[in-house]
Amino acid sequence: MTPDEVDNVFGELTAGPLTPDASGAVRRARSAILNDLRPVRPLPSSWILTLLFAGTFAALAAGSGALLGPHGFYALNGLERAAIYPTLIALALVAAMACSRQMRPAGGARRGGVALLLVLACFPAVASALFRGYSTVDFVPGGIPCLRAGLLVALPTAILVTWILRRGFVLDWSAAGLAGGILSGLTGLGMLEVHCPNLEAIHILLWHLGVVAFSAALGCAVGWIVDIVGWRSRARTSRGAA
Amino acid sequence: MPVSSAPDAGLETLMSGYQQADDEAATALIEKVSPMLLRFFWLQAFSRRHADDLLQETWMRIHKARHTYRPGEPVLPWIFAIARYTGLDSYRKTRRIEFRETQVEVLPEIAAAPPVSQDVAEIDAMLGALPESQREVLVMLKVSGMTMEEVARATSSSIGSVKQKAHRAYRTLRSALMGGARAR
Repeated sequence: MTPDEVDNVFGELTAGPLTPDASGAVRRARSAILNDLRPVRPLPSSWILTLLFAGTFAALAAGSGALLGPHGFYALNGLERAAIYPTLIALALVAAMACSRQMRPAGGARRGGVALLLVLACFPAVASALFRGYSTVDFVPGGIPCLRAGLLVALPTAILVTWILRRGFVLDWSAAGLAGGILSGLTGLGMLEVHCPNLEAIHILLWHLGVVAFSAALGCAVGWIVDIVGWRSRARTSRGAA
Repeated sequence: MPVSSAPDAGLETLMSGYQQADDEAATALIEKVSPMLLRFFWLQAFSRRHADDLLQETWMRIHKARHTYRPGEPVLPWIFAIARYTGLDSYRKTRRIEFRETQVEVLPEIAAAPPVSQDVAEIDAMLGALPESQREVLVMLKVSGMTMEEVARATSSSIGSVKQKAHRAYRTLRSALMGGARAR
């Protein structure tokens, strides 16, 4: 076969009748679809969904930080505030974009991994440039409450993010879980940067950033389980139908 | 007759009509896209055996997800992204069944192959030598007639990655063709 012949064969493959079995499948699908045909309102555009996710982050991070007491905000000087908060907002926008892309099929290249890498690279870079102090005195007793509080804020964020994600049609829950976990973790981190007055670099790098790492890992694991449960239940349904 | 169901209406127009519950548009869309989807499943090794069932399952998922299509955007990447995951789910299901159950009867390899010529069978054998990801990209580009950008959207990857996979697939096919010519 020559390359031209190969192209002709590909051309032959693009057209052609359906097999009788396939025609039957199409007929059944068409009948089911036409019986359940109702107008639907298209999902808002990606940038609106991104803003929705980012708004969730901002509202919960600032709200819970203010509710618990903005001691961290007052402990930071002007330069530190100008570096930390815009960095967090930029990272949250990347995570929000990753979430919104998961809501529709063919929504764009996955960005969950990129968001996680950016968080794990940018935030430590900014925090280590601004803060000093690597003392391990009172390290664990001082860190556990921060990790716990961060995760407690990440949890309602994750519930809200999942609720928004379910308005769309998620194909890959592992990737969606990762993106949602990062955004939820960033909300916890944002709250800690407003609330926690401990400016020791090692405390921020481990206990504050740990909220994002933990939340991302948990989100990915939960998404993976949802995927498995989903295709198992579909398998059961199709076996039952057969 | 609604505008969206005119015989020469594009897939995007038909999809918008389908979202607005226009049954003629939905029917026309199903008629136009089903052969492409069937070829897509049939040319993937992991989904070939159940191509007809997958076609039906894909339409059910498309119906559930129809609100996520943005009017005006290319419809094929959106449809093929759903088809891709339907195939992957089927692959996982088959693997699970094969892992747990012992087959006592020999089943036919292909449940329902579309009518094909000898050349198509030859091409299919060549495609069989390609890794699944390269074959998937090649089928979308050459059989479904999608652009590089559309394939990138359907596979949630970058255009660069699609170009690389297509290039490797062409290179493998070319060497298979040259090998075949030398053998003759």
